[in-house]
Amino acid sequence: MVLIALAAFGYMRAAQHHHGTTEVNPKEIIYEHLGDAYGWEIPFCHDVRIPLPIIAKGEDGWHCFMSSRVTSGETYEGFRINHGEEYNGKLVQVLDDGSVSRPLDLSITKNVAAIMVCALLVIMMVFSVRNWYRKHGMKAPRKGTAVLELIVDYVYTDTIRPILGKHSPKYAPYLLTVFFFILTMNLMGLVVIFPGGANLTGNLAVTMVLAVITFFVINLSGTREYWKEILWPDVPLGLKCPAPMMPFIEILGMFTKPVALMVRLFANMMGGHMVVLVLMLLIFIFSGMFGAAVGGATTVFSLAFALFMLALDTLVSFIQAYVFTILSTIFISMALVEPHGHEA
Amino acid sequence: MELFTPEFGLVFWMFVAFLCLYCILAKLAWPFIIKSMEERADLIDKGVAYAQEAKANLDNAKAEADHLLAEARQQQADILRDAAKMRNQIIEDARGEAAVEAKKVSEAAMVSIEQAKKESEKQLRREVSEIALQIAEKVLRKNVSNDQAQRELVDKYLNEVETKN
Repeated sequence: MVLIALAAFGYMRAAQHHHGTTEVNPKEIIYEHLGDAYGWEIPFCHDVRIPLPIIAKGEDGWHCFMSSRVTSGETYEGFRINHGEEYNGKLVQVLDDGSVSRPLDLSITKNVAAIMVCALLVIMMVFSVRNWYRKHGMKAPRKGTAVLELIVDYVYTDTIRPILGKHSPKYAPYLLTVFFFILTMNLMGLVVIFPGGANLTGNLAVTMVLAVITFFVINLSGTREYWKEILWPDVPLGLKCPAPMMPFIEILGMFTKPVALMVRLFANMMGGHMVVLVLMLLIFIFSGMFGAAVGGATTVFSLAFALFMLALDTLVSFIQAYVFTILSTIFISMALVEPHGHEA
Repeated sequence: MELFTPEFGLVFWMFVAFLCLYCILAKLAWPFIIKSMEERADLIDKGVAYAQEAKANLDNAKAEADHLLAEARQQQADILRDAAKMRNQIIEDARGEAAVEAKKVSEAAMVSIEQAKKESEKQLRREVSEIALQIAEKVLRKNVSNDQAQRELVDKYLNEVETKN
């Protein structure tokens, strides 16, 4: 209740601040929050951003400067952030004839920085468990380390080992890394202020990298039997000889598995973020349409629902990280098939 | 729709970050953590098995101790019975020996008493006959001339007296 009262008060302030200045554009705000940026907002201050390095290879070679030089709309060393139909919000190089081109952009953007923060967090978490074992030997961990160990134990002992059996020591490091990385990125995405707040797993680029790596892990560990089942499966000859129908479907299956992983994680996480954002924006949309009183009432409902959604997203963060890991494990175990005589 | 068109820079950095993360963790952390966790699980399993075994041993030990105690009691009873038997035996033997010894002693005493008795009888008879003869000699000195005949008579009377006694 206190939270809701505070929120209502905050809304009044915000409404006064926004009143008559700008029209609320929900789509723009949503994409701004879900998308990438060249600077990182510092908490509770929309205008001040932490500058991040921009690394770009334009027509004339590599350029490297801080993002604070261009985020306010200036042009620096021929680069500016474009606004418009093409390359909206992206770094572009202004050529001599006035046209713009997109450079090879390896900037440390907000998302890249967030990825690094998450990677560091994962390293810290995992090393806290490792150091506990190094220091205390066989003693059971306490507090936070115990929670981490519980998760590791759940993922490894209850999931990876029963599925992969004797192969598990080989693949467990990859799968555990994937799990903790995804989990951290999911949860950090739910933290709205500075070290978090980047929508990483709700970005197709991030999930694509994970899915592609999983694709290679699956197919590079494939046994002869695995490839035989793809290229020459045990089906009636007519289904594979003149026209390779079954092999075609099997090869398609090779690609749909990681694509499903990629899209599932992306859609779940982005959906969760988007629902929360829309609920928040409802306050401003309604107050714009019906006045401050309705907006105030909406605040209470929106906050309650958004809180519920965030709680749900926390659960979804765990579930999706787990689902990605367990499906990767299952796909790997399917690639490790041994020849089996008893099945026709 | 930036979300659906993967940005090359982000893909690149994500790939680099993930590879670094994987290399660091796979080399330094995960194998050690997994090994430690499995070792601890083994240790706990072993601990439980050990405790169960120890409990079984303890139960066995109690039964064994009871058994030993019972055996010891049995032995003690046996020893006591033997000892009692031996004591009785010794007493019995001693008694028998003492009886034999006593009999011997009394027999010897009997013999010596008999001898002494005979000796003293002889002595007495001789003395009595001497005294009687002296008395008779004194009484009959005058009218008895034949000494030899008189002595035979006295002897004859003495024999009569002795047989009467």
